[in-house]
Amino acid sequence: MTAEAILEVRGLNKSFGGVKAVDDCSFGVPAGSVLGLIGPNGAGKSTTIDMVSGFGRPDSGSVRFEGTELVRQPPHRISRLGLIRTFQSPREWGSLTVLDNVMLGMRAFARESIPRNLFARRAVRRAEAADRVRVEEILHEFNLAALRHERAETLSGGQKRLVEFARVAAAQPRLVILDEPMGGVNPVLGERMSEAIKGFVTAGSTVVIVEHNMKFIEETCDDVVVMDLGHVIAQGPYSSLRDDERVVTAYLGSVDE
Amino acid sequence: MSYWISILTEACIFSIMAQGVNVIWGWAGDFDLALYGYVALGVYLTIAMTAGPALSPEEYILGWHLPYLVAVVLSVLIVLPIAALVGAVALRNLREIYFAITTLGVISVIYVIVQVDTPLFNGFNGIAGLVTPMAGPLGISYNGYKYFLLGFCAVVLLAVVLVMQRLSTSPYGRAMRSIRDDERAAAAFGRGIFRAKLVAYVIGAGLAALGGSLFAAYLGAFNPSAWAPQEILTLYAAVLVGGRGNVRGVVAGTFIVYIGFIELTRYLPNIASRPEFAPSLREVLIGLLIVLMLKFRPQGLFPDRHGLPRSPGGTGPLARALAGIGRGQRSEPEKSAAA
Repeated sequence: MTAEAILEVRGLNKSFGGVKAVDDCSFGVPAGSVLGLIGPNGAGKSTTIDMVSGFGRPDSGSVRFEGTELVRQPPHRISRLGLIRTFQSPREWGSLTVLDNVMLGMRAFARESIPRNLFARRAVRRAEAADRVRVEEILHEFNLAALRHERAETLSGGQKRLVEFARVAAAQPRLVILDEPMGGVNPVLGERMSEAIKGFVTAGSTVVIVEHNMKFIEETCDDVVVMDLGHVIAQGPYSSLRDDERVVTAYLGSVDE
Repeated sequence: MSYWISILTEACIFSIMAQGVNVIWGWAGDFDLALYGYVALGVYLTIAMTAGPALSPEEYILGWHLPYLVAVVLSVLIVLPIAALVGAVALRNLREIYFAITTLGVISVIYVIVQVDTPLFNGFNGIAGLVTPMAGPLGISYNGYKYFLLGFCAVVLLAVVLVMQRLSTSPYGRAMRSIRDDERAAAAFGRGIFRAKLVAYVIGAGLAALGGSLFAAYLGAFNPSAWAPQEILTLYAAVLVGGRGNVRGVVAGTFIVYIGFIELTRYLPNIASRPEFAPSLREVLIGLLIVLMLKFRPQGLFPDRHGLPRSPGGTGPLARALAGIGRGQRSEPEKSAAA
């Protein structure tokens, strides 16, 4: 698996005061797959993905993404390498329209330079118009076309999730980490999310999902990484782990004690 | 007449400074309290570069006889690296109230240094001697000068508004607003937060210094009793009233707040034994205005409509403003203090 892993986490450690949040955490994400990252609350999942995406700095360990070391790199640089993450809440850009939220997903950074916007307006406008075509497709795909001129802060929770996914679709990341995408999402919308994730893979992305909804994990993920007490206790297909004693114990609490 | 000329001139100058607040707070989302320090440095530097050598017992640095416009450019250029230094320290990890307190410390330091360090800008007595700049070479009479200065300030304001409006409606303006609305998400989508905020901070400080340089031409003299760190609150009131983020709205807001307050407090009875009554009341009223705006119409009279299509015919900005009164929608950016 090592050869084809798009992301490789090795020996990651992180303590907050006396609490070891992540303890020698290692796992790999096979390119082109959908990987579930599960574990009970406090297992260290969020801390791990924060460190992978540059929002936290590990005490030690390494994160390699397509051969590039990510540790000590700032979040925006990691993002520019093609690794996009989402957050537990949708974190829409509230004052901006749905259209602008998705346009920002296109990540045309050169076009955001001040000199270019003062002196090369026509070129900027042309490039915007070209991106707009693609963004309109995405808006239709996520049923957001009618909302394109609404400010994102006025949307419902489910609609904000759709905006978040549409942003990711626009970004076409090499790897996307979805942090609890099903939080506050109804079952119908859940189906659409599943579809969208398959769409990401078809478009060439690798997907990591942190989620507590086991049904969703079972249906969506190829492989599952189970974390508890800061380290990985199992990795494999969901079906093979369902009856794994360590996994059951971690999830149900220490019933034996 | 002459009264209105001077009020309009001041309103133009304050509008330029308010554009600085709008970049830093309106777009980048940073509540900077040091900005009036950059204004003051702009005023001091411009006078010190044009008024000629200090005559004993006066003391101040530079003491050049530069042409006014050269001094304006140099003053702004000197303020930029100072602001960059402050921003580099304050914007690295500090946000919201922590950033505000840090910048409050910065302006307090500037104020005390200017007041106490006499060799810098003549300390408490301040500096003077910039008389009707540009009038000589242009052959403008003393009586016509105030009209000329109003026109000059209006032209500079117009140029500033045109540039800022271009940036506001551009992909740059969109990226800045994404950083203001949620900087973690903006970083996750590749925007370099620190650099973007720093650039906005330096631009804002540059506009403040530019406003200060024009203010120097208007005032001719400057000393620590002519300004105080809390002057910034008037600018925040102006941005709030106009509409945070909206370039033209901020100009309207500045004119409304500035002229409104001057006119409102002009007819107050002068109490001989309490000469500070009227100016103090003005500050109280500005504070009250800020609170009321935040409570009832935080988006301002002319809300920022970045990216929104023009509303269908017949509804001008005033109608839109009236229609929105009382709705008071407001986005609370999530806390992202020192990580």
